[in-house]
Amino acid sequence: MDRALISRRTLAGVAGLLAGVATGAAVAVVAGAAVQHRAATGAVEPQIEATHLPPLLTMPGEQVELRYDVYCLNGEDDPDGGPACDAGGTVFVRAGGSGDFREVPLIVDAAASEGRYTARVPEKIAGSPAGFSYYAVLRSATSGAFLTLPAGGAAAPQRSLLLERSVDVRLGAHRFSATRRADSRVAEAAWGNGPNEVGLEQGRNLTPIGGSTFDVDRDGTVYVLDEANRRLLHWSSGARTPTSVPLEISGTLADMAVGEDGTIYVLETTTGEGRGPFLRVFHKDGSPAGASQVAERASQVRIGPNGPVVLQHPSGQWMTAAIGGRLLTPSAQRSSGRAGRPLPGGAEVVLLRRGNEIRVALTGPNGMRRAWRVTSETPLAEVQLAEPLGSRLLLVTRVFTDAQDEFLVLLLDQKGVVRQFALDSADWAETAPLSRFRLVGSSLFQLGSTPAGVFVDRFDVEVK
Amino acid sequence: MFGRHRFLIGFVVASCFAAAGTASAYHTTFVAQNCHTNPAQQVSYITRDGSIAVALKARYEGYQWGGGCWNDNNVDDSPNDPTGDPNTGGEGGDCSGFTFKIWRESETKSDAGFYQWNKLRKVHGPYTADWFRQGVGAPNITSAKSALIKMDAFASTGHIGMIYATNADGTDQIIEAKGEAYGTNIWTRTYRGSSSYGGVRRTGWSS
Repeated sequence: MDRALISRRTLAGVAGLLAGVATGAAVAVVAGAAVQHRAATGAVEPQIEATHLPPLLTMPGEQVELRYDVYCLNGEDDPDGGPACDAGGTVFVRAGGSGDFREVPLIVDAAASEGRYTARVPEKIAGSPAGFSYYAVLRSATSGAFLTLPAGGAAAPQRSLLLERSVDVRLGAHRFSATRRADSRVAEAAWGNGPNEVGLEQGRNLTPIGGSTFDVDRDGTVYVLDEANRRLLHWSSGARTPTSVPLEISGTLADMAVGEDGTIYVLETTTGEGRGPFLRVFHKDGSPAGASQVAERASQVRIGPNGPVVLQHPSGQWMTAAIGGRLLTPSAQRSSGRAGRPLPGGAEVVLLRRGNEIRVALTGPNGMRRAWRVTSETPLAEVQLAEPLGSRLLLVTRVFTDAQDEFLVLLLDQKGVVRQFALDSADWAETAPLSRFRLVGSSLFQLGSTPAGVFVDRFDVEVK
Repeated sequence: MFGRHRFLIGFVVASCFAAAGTASAYHTTFVAQNCHTNPAQQVSYITRDGSIAVALKARYEGYQWGGGCWNDNNVDDSPNDPTGDPNTGGEGGDCSGFTFKIWRESETKSDAGFYQWNKLRKVHGPYTADWFRQGVGAPNITSAKSALIKMDAFASTGHIGMIYATNADGTDQIIEAKGEAYGTNIWTRTYRGSSSYGGVRRTGWSS
């Protein structure tokens, strides 16, 4: 090896090193600049926000008031101590689901802690056997900004139904600590990052979040979203260990539904892209099949008659997210809003929990099929599940005091409660809000957790 | 071949250093560059609506364990900080610091008065989530969860979030500083029924 060759190699090496340094630094700086550009641009925040609890199911003779809270986001300065918004608006309301809307101006109920902007639905409209439909246009007098709620406006107004013939169910006071044992445990995994384990977000020393949702298909295969490890674990019927399917997800709390063809729909309520939520679609093998921005804040994804449907707020409506495999734009989602959750068979489930009362109705193309009004002496929290089971309805809600909580399972028919039992809440780790139960056939599945791990239990609910 | 290896080594090393430099500047200097220690402005009254408007300015901003300073550009300016380190200087409050500022409380636990904290004022306040849960401090009381309304809170030993709205299915929309991976935002939660959570109310709302 002569000195000239060494020199050429050395020069080539140094040149290569310098070129690598220059290129690497340039790439990193450009990437950093891109990140900072994303940070600098942010998102356009609306100048007005509103909330509204829709009276989706009303009783005959009930006085119906539509109440809204409106918040204006004005300028740079923090608001002082007083009401932050000089707002107003109009509710457009009509009997039934078609025809012209009547305008009712909102008035301010200054004494109210909640729902300060209010409009009383005219009795003739509120008492219509077909219920009524409505939307509101809310305006900030300060900025001139306005907001339509639900967002679809006249194209997808909110719908309220009249419970003319509902079945009354009075639960009395709940007796805690008499919970039912599972018929079988169909899936189980310890917390961790191993192949057969489910991960905990943020580690063990913070609020535990993990195994954020699950689903079960007709074959009995159990799917658990292991979002912390960015994968889906599924247990075939009778299997003791899961099969893992990697998913390109953000690793935060998410809901999920698995379609009949095995398509996986993951609803991410937080994404690394600054805003959310996002609906991500995956083939059965975990390969990405698409993703779409969801129109509003979202909490649930389920399978509807034509594909996934997503519950969105502040509209408080179920919106179609895809039709025949084609993802819908946020605008198209808003135009598809429905008060009830569309079921694969074409029916809908409409729900309203207010205080210690749950109103629930099954509707079809020809109107209301069946309805129930459940009251309890023990406070009721969320309705985790409301699914038809033949001509019956299976309802799972949470009963609670300030020290205890359990899930209460009610099988309802046209006369009242056919069967009821309580389940341990088993919610050591946080999940997506309404992801703890699924009904497949006549089997109820519960996603539960303990400090040791996550599990899915099966309960048979049908009465012979 | 030799030159290509050198190129790759140089590329990787330079990328790491450059990216680290960018990330370091991006993640740890938010408080130093943006936040201040100006005193709070004492106000004579507060309303739930006013506090929600204050809280909405923190939406889409970051989360910082032990923190309490944010801007209003709708972006987490210091994402992916280490979760267990309160000294990373990132944007955002943590859950209890966020609640303290939105409830416009005093740093003195015996003072139930109303204090308007600027969003860029770095302050966490004296309470942990667990202390809120126990009703510690003159402004705070425990309250039955079934009676809680907007701007009341659900608190556990490790987390606290305030009610923004109630949904038809019985869940609540909660405005909260959730965690480093989440930032500060509004999400649907089931804290009301969970026995891990207790009810907390800030006293003294005008409406």
